[in-house]
Amino acid sequence: MASGEEELPLPSKRKIAIVSLAALLGAATILVTVVLPAEYGVDPLGTGAKLGLLAMSRPSQNESITLPPGGTEFTPVERGAAAYYGAEYKVDTTELVLDAYEYVEYKYHLEKGASMLFAWTANSTVMHDFHGAPDTDPKNGEASFDKRDASQANGSFVAPFTGIHGWYWENPGGERIVIKVTSAGFYNAAMEFRSNGTRKSHELMPLNAIASGAK
Amino acid sequence: MKAVTTLLASALLMFCAAELSAHDQFRIIGTLTKAQPTSLEVRTKEGKTVAIEVNKETLVTRDRKKVEFGELKTGGSVVVDALGDTFDDLVALEVRIVPPIATPGN
Repeated sequence: MASGEEELPLPSKRKIAIVSLAALLGAATILVTVVLPAEYGVDPLGTGAKLGLLAMSRPSQNESITLPPGGTEFTPVERGAAAYYGAEYKVDTTELVLDAYEYVEYKYHLEKGASMLFAWTANSTVMHDFHGAPDTDPKNGEASFDKRDASQANGSFVAPFTGIHGWYWENPGGERIVIKVTSAGFYNAAMEFRSNGTRKSHELMPLNAIASGAK
Repeated sequence: MKAVTTLLASALLMFCAAELSAHDQFRIIGTLTKAQPTSLEVRTKEGKTVAIEVNKETLVTRDRKKVEFGELKTGGSVVVDALGDTFDDLVALEVRIVPPIATPGN
């Protein structure tokens, strides 16, 4: 050390301990009052709510889904393995009765790429064709996805084109057949077409119908 | 003049084609009450009698095999697939002769 320079006295151990403790308390206070509410939504003292910090911990509510050109709220927007929609999915359940030789088509309208889950059972074997027809060419663009005699099926489906997709069931002749269908999906309409020429739209249930047990 | 005629004929043909393609398909199931070379009458389970036109393209079958029109007997059960706009203007595509159809239970 050069001559003439003054040595600064070191703080005492007691002083170091006091300052450290104060710093620790200050950090803990900031953690509990600011950081936990803002980052994790944990607000034990209510300061996050008072300071408006809780919103920072929630995912953005205003993030919009960019639809492709011509898309609707039922058009999926893919992000990696997931697909997002602008609307909630719908649920549907119905019972269809077929006397001898009668047929019915029950279909949903889905945008291309939209998905649905389905399950149907019949009390006897029916002639069955799971197929779809595109909006752009309903008569000539039909595609059959599964055509066979069956008495039940459970599955998932992703629409290869925008159009109506569903089932043709026919009673091959004999006793009355009852078919029960249940589904959930990003469809926006359900229609029934009968062999006697009648057509009927079915009302779809919103998501909260599951919780409320409504039919 | 020839060009105008051709144009008008084409427009008429396109209109007719559009009308034909707009016909719906119907199935009439029931008891044959009348069978004539140009028309049939079928009484459905609802008690309604439906008149259906028959033409040379109409197919008559039994057990998936083509049979003569004369095989159709009044009182027999039939399944008729027909085209038309309503139940009042149907043309039969195929008439299937089937076993007696049981009355559906409640």
